[in-house]
Amino acid sequence: MAHKYKLIYFDRRGRGEVARLLFAAAGVEYEDFRFKKEEWPKYKGTTPFGQCPVLEVDGKPLTQSNAIVRHLAREFGLAGKTAWDQAQVDMILETMQDIANPISVICLCKDEEEKHALKATYEEETLPRYLEAVQKILAANKDGKGFLVGDEMTVADLSLFWTLDCIPVMVKNPTAKFPKLQEFRDRIAAVPNIAAWLEKLPKTADWDNSNVEHNP
Amino acid sequence: MMPNYKLKYFNFRGRAELARLVFAVAEVEYEDIRFAVEDWPKIKPTTPFGQAPVLEVDGKPLAQSSAIARYLGKEYGLAGKTNWEQAQVDMIMDTMEDILTPMRAIHFCKDEQQKAELQKKYQEETLPNYLKGLETFLCGNNGGDGYFVGSELTLADLTFMHYTGQVEVFVPNPLAKFPKLQALRERVEELPKIAAWIAKRPKTLR
Repeated sequence: MAHKYKLIYFDRRGRGEVARLLFAAAGVEYEDFRFKKEEWPKYKGTTPFGQCPVLEVDGKPLTQSNAIVRHLAREFGLAGKTAWDQAQVDMILETMQDIANPISVICLCKDEEEKHALKATYEEETLPRYLEAVQKILAANKDGKGFLVGDEMTVADLSLFWTLDCIPVMVKNPTAKFPKLQEFRDRIAAVPNIAAWLEKLPKTADWDNSNVEHNP
Repeated sequence: MMPNYKLKYFNFRGRAELARLVFAVAEVEYEDIRFAVEDWPKIKPTTPFGQAPVLEVDGKPLAQSSAIARYLGKEYGLAGKTNWEQAQVDMIMDTMEDILTPMRAIHFCKDEQQKAELQKKYQEETLPNYLKGLETFLCGNNGGDGYFVGSELTLADLTFMHYTGQVEVFVPNPLAKFPKLQALRERVEELPKIAAWIAKRPKTLR
């Protein structure tokens, strides 16, 4: 029996987007419930930990974007085929957090001098280190012409795809020195289900500081 | 045949302890490699992402502490019995991470006044809000007298126990107002295999 899914999140891509990409890739129906930033206080108290996104599965709530993403990936067969593949996929999901989280920290930093220093470290050391490592993983699998893990698309690919789109708010043209990553990004965007989603997704701000305001 | 496991990390509990706890509960042999901080620059480029811990399974590397914990948890029956239970376990693990993250930011804050303000907000508002959510969640399962998810110990309980210890380095007696959470922590710490590991592991600050 098909489950009833409702994804509850702000009207932006942010921490809800990989779940939405999973629904699109798997061709599964769901209610894409979006609220405006000013409406959040109304919903916050109804969530298990005062955070969003929330995925309701047959009315039962699940929070934490990566828990949601892992659950949907397992349900849709996009989590990796073996235990080891799943571990590699998990490793990539965590690494995408390590790439994206500093962006929020830098955006929220109030001290201009510290902000400048953090941004420089991110741009010159942190980000290149991660992108090089991720490109290496991609290149080791069918010379980068396939997917990150195994022979088929997994949630790792969707997460990398989305993360690459997040970075430019802080560092312009991040894949300039990583051609395999750029080619990968374009290839995922062209997958029919994904292309259809990108075409119809609401045109909202992709990233802003309030991505972190859903934490108490 | 049992895989050959090598866990490589600093001489802290930190981000390797969850894996060590799983090995302890599962009674699985592994090499618990702890390197000195001064040796890290040499080791860093040999890791997948320039980070530790790394778990080598028959020589193949796996990075990211929670990917390592989840992999071992699944191998040894501590990850949750169904997809939905695994999702609930994941949720609790990630929530514990959210509890610890502000603590690190406070620790590294250079401005003394800002640090004091952040610490106050964390102790009086942020942390209690999370703990309240966790206690409510726990009480939804067997009245709060069992485990977070299902009827057996999972990574959720181990993460809770370990991360509470990490919070305690900065905030004394964090579970004082949450009796069910406190009881769970004690229940987990007193499980024979965990108590044995706690007794024999190297004594480090964190």
